[in-house]
Amino acid sequence: MQPTAWEPEGVEALLDSKGTLADPAAVRGLDLRDYYKKLVAARVLDVKLRRLELPMWASAAGEEAVSVAIGDLVEDDDTVFVGNRDAAIGLTRGMALTELVSQLLGRGSSETRGRGLPGSISSQAHAIVGASEALGMSLGLAVGHAHGQALFGRGRASVVVFGEGLTTTGMFHESVAVALAHDAPLVFVCKSQIWPDGAPPEAGLLGDSVSDRARAAGLWTRRCDGADALGVRRAIGAALHRAKDGAGPGLVEVVVTPLAQDPPAERDPVERLRRLLDARGEWTQPFQDVTEAEIHGLIDRAVQEAVDAGQDEVSS
Amino acid sequence: MSALQPLSRLVAALLREDERRCLLGEDVRSGGMLGLSRVAAQDEQLRARVLGSPLTASAHVAHAGGLALAGLRPIVLLPSSTALLEALAALRELGRLRWRSGEQRAVPALFVAPNGPGFGVGGEAAESVEATLAAVPGVELWCAGRAEDLCAYLRSAADFSGAEARPAQVGPRVLLLPRSVVVRDLLVDVDLDQALPRSVTALVREGDRATVFAWGEALAPALAAAQACAALDPAIEVKVVDLGRLAPLDEELLVEHASATGKIVIAHAGPRRGGLGAELAALFADRCILHLDAPIVRVTGELEPALVAGHEELRASPSASAIAAAINHVVHY
Repeated sequence: MQPTAWEPEGVEALLDSKGTLADPAAVRGLDLRDYYKKLVAARVLDVKLRRLELPMWASAAGEEAVSVAIGDLVEDDDTVFVGNRDAAIGLTRGMALTELVSQLLGRGSSETRGRGLPGSISSQAHAIVGASEALGMSLGLAVGHAHGQALFGRGRASVVVFGEGLTTTGMFHESVAVALAHDAPLVFVCKSQIWPDGAPPEAGLLGDSVSDRARAAGLWTRRCDGADALGVRRAIGAALHRAKDGAGPGLVEVVVTPLAQDPPAERDPVERLRRLLDARGEWTQPFQDVTEAEIHGLIDRAVQEAVDAGQDEVSS
Repeated sequence: MSALQPLSRLVAALLREDERRCLLGEDVRSGGMLGLSRVAAQDEQLRARVLGSPLTASAHVAHAGGLALAGLRPIVLLPSSTALLEALAALRELGRLRWRSGEQRAVPALFVAPNGPGFGVGGEAAESVEATLAAVPGVELWCAGRAEDLCAYLRSAADFSGAEARPAQVGPRVLLLPRSVVVRDLLVDVDLDQALPRSVTALVREGDRATVFAWGEALAPALAAAQACAALDPAIEVKVVDLGRLAPLDEELLVEHASATGKIVIAHAGPRRGGLGAELAALFADRCILHLDAPIVRVTGELEPALVAGHEELRASPSASAIAAAINHVVHY
């Protein structure tokens, strides 16, 4: 198959567009079916939330590889600074679904008392810091947080997730400079939304990739394909490992294709991993149906509980 | 000798007392522009917590917020209060963080910055920015007054004890040091172990004929004016209140002292228009109108707008004689 105009350039592929695993050893020890279920859960969460027609809500369909990799790889003591399309990180990290949905619905009964930004989540127990309001502030906060962890000698890492839109701001460049100056154990994860026509101008504004720009500033970087869930996991895992090892900050740029742009099926990270499982004889339609039904049921119940709690607030 | 040397010793002492404290600033490892980190930077035991950071605007302030979230107690030494205007978006973020987390996350970060006229260079280095900073939600704004109080102010401002138990009450704090005060000769010995022996907003001179509210570099001339009025006429004793904390205002205490005399003078550096004096005047009009026996008089810098050249700095803050004239005006109204 010839690469289409949708295929990103300069990425390290682990699971290619045909669903072929380039290096089986790279996923040794990983339960692929379990990992696939996490991707499906993230997708179903997005679908369910879209149907709620929440104000200022933005779909993350097509970006699940990032949320699931971060949620799956970070340890309990590592802190994640999220944006407004990263609710699935909370899901993968084990946040109670009712709490997660309550926050997304802006309920006063939630841990954040309904004060979080649209689409964002926050959890003290799960070390998730919600999105900042001013452009790029979560980057600066994350650098300081990671630096603080290093000063305490805790051997932890922090992660900050953001979109390519922030990479033309002063805060992005300031944060990279400060992270490097202090060798902060921080992983910058940039989701670059790119598609053939009409992609955000920041993605190509400076004529190169975000990872190229960050590497020029002195950061360790990797560029990977958001449709390749296993490659994304490998890159973020490597960045986390070196950060905890005292090697300093890193940046992983993940080229993601919003499903709203109606891309070819192989640009969908869930579908691509499904093809791999299918080829290995580990996927069946009943497995798919049961997986989806399970998460559908859990989310439906959480939404109902969150709505009921909201009604209690009104009546009280 | 000015208060800068004892302040530098105090900064080092604060680091020794609590290993969660660290210093953050572009030039802190070389002593800082005012020399406030000189003693700490020369102490081998403390140098690991003297964190020189690249010259950035917003990232610097956000960085301090991140350090505080990780459990540290950063003290950020800024070259000018106007640095906080360049980083206003970050300061606003820190102010909101505690609230947006559902009051679960404390942000015990202290920003220390010289403010207002006093160095004789004019421009931004003579600007009084407290009115802008006081409007940032969730940020505590303190402003020290007399030279002999600077160390006590710093010790109290750096005290975030109880942050873990009361995260809902602990947000970022800004301590403004008036430039003209930090370079003034310090004529008394200062006990570095002494915190403010009073609430931040407090009565610093007793009286019954009028109440003068002042802060920052206007506090010393306000006290001098009160003393001069009493010297000329022993029957004219006026209260002087050091506002101290400019945000949030201690409204009950301020209203109490305003109502007690019904004659009010407000003195502060910087421009009259849009200044915090206007907020105080509105507060007293709202809460004390039945106690007022004279118009509320504001005595401020003379320059409008607040664009100050180096040679004009003396006109950017009120003189003792102007405050004394205002006291006489309200007392004899």
